[in-house]
Amino acid sequence: MSEKWRLLDTGLNDAFYNMALDEAIVIARSKNLVPNTIRFFRWNPSAVSIGYFQSMEEEVDIKACDEMGINYVRRRTGGGAVYHDRDGELTYSIIMNENHRLISRDFQETYRTLCSGLVLGLRRLGVPVEFRPINDIVAQGKKISGNAQTRGMGVVHQHGTILRKVDPDLMFKVLKVPSEKIRDKLIKSVKERVTSINDVLKREVSFKELTDALINGFEDSFGIELTLGSVTNFEEDLAQRLKVEKYVAREWNFKR
Amino acid sequence: MGRAEYKVEGGKLIKVQLTLEDKKIKRIKITGDFFLHPEDVIEDIEQSLEGCILDEHELNSLIENVLKSRRAVFLGVSPKDFARCIMMAGEKNE
Repeated sequence: MSEKWRLLDTGLNDAFYNMALDEAIVIARSKNLVPNTIRFFRWNPSAVSIGYFQSMEEEVDIKACDEMGINYVRRRTGGGAVYHDRDGELTYSIIMNENHRLISRDFQETYRTLCSGLVLGLRRLGVPVEFRPINDIVAQGKKISGNAQTRGMGVVHQHGTILRKVDPDLMFKVLKVPSEKIRDKLIKSVKERVTSINDVLKREVSFKELTDALINGFEDSFGIELTLGSVTNFEEDLAQRLKVEKYVAREWNFKR
Repeated sequence: MGRAEYKVEGGKLIKVQLTLEDKKIKRIKITGDFFLHPEDVIEDIEQSLEGCILDEHELNSLIENVLKSRRAVFLGVSPKDFARCIMMAGEKNE
């Protein structure tokens, strides 16, 4: 019999709750209150997340975000700034025990293993993807997914983004560019380096179709069975607290 | 204040901001899209660099020591890359 994991689909939420819930699940997992979990989620309003080590002021055009009603939040994971479009992007999290057979002490190897679930799912959807170290998945040489991982309390937490459709012009309205002069050049270079599922397949792929494919990919690649579950009261209460005390706070978001 | 950016080939981007006093690092902030586990070791690295002279070899071993004592690992960057970028920021400050 295959190993049972919990599947969560938490739908559309704001950036602060989204990041708080990830951390709440990590804490719940560390206390053995919940099983290993894969979570799918989206962002409403659209948001920018930055890596743990990045500077909010340097990476994000805060004025533009405020004008467009776009949230900005610091992640608990490293890596780069990501624009999470409400209608264009799907995010997943994997929260699992560090002692699990799939986890290597080597971070690079673990990225490859955990991304293999996404790779298999996307290939079955017809998108010819491969893992590209350090932490990307590419289709036809262009980035289609970025991933970030952290560990602590005996738990591995990896989350990442899958581009269903992409709008580089909007992406560069919210991210800071070194100078206005090179904005067009950067947008052009992003168009050459980044792609999306809709672009590759030349059709509209729904979020439902995408998540179904990824669920399949994770199950077969990890040798697990995913059962749709719900967020526990412990996780929900903790997420609400972490949202207010940490992820909404300027102290966290502007700490670097 | 000195600032520098250094993109590691096949790796990540490092940004350093520092101020010097008597040729020693007074304040330093290191940002970027790299990975460091555990994450809070970045603060230990920055603290250990304060008061340090701008010597690439010395900076490198200092960072290596912090990683060792905290059992921390980098991904996408190395202590050498950090040291390189700190030197670049220091040279711009002078």
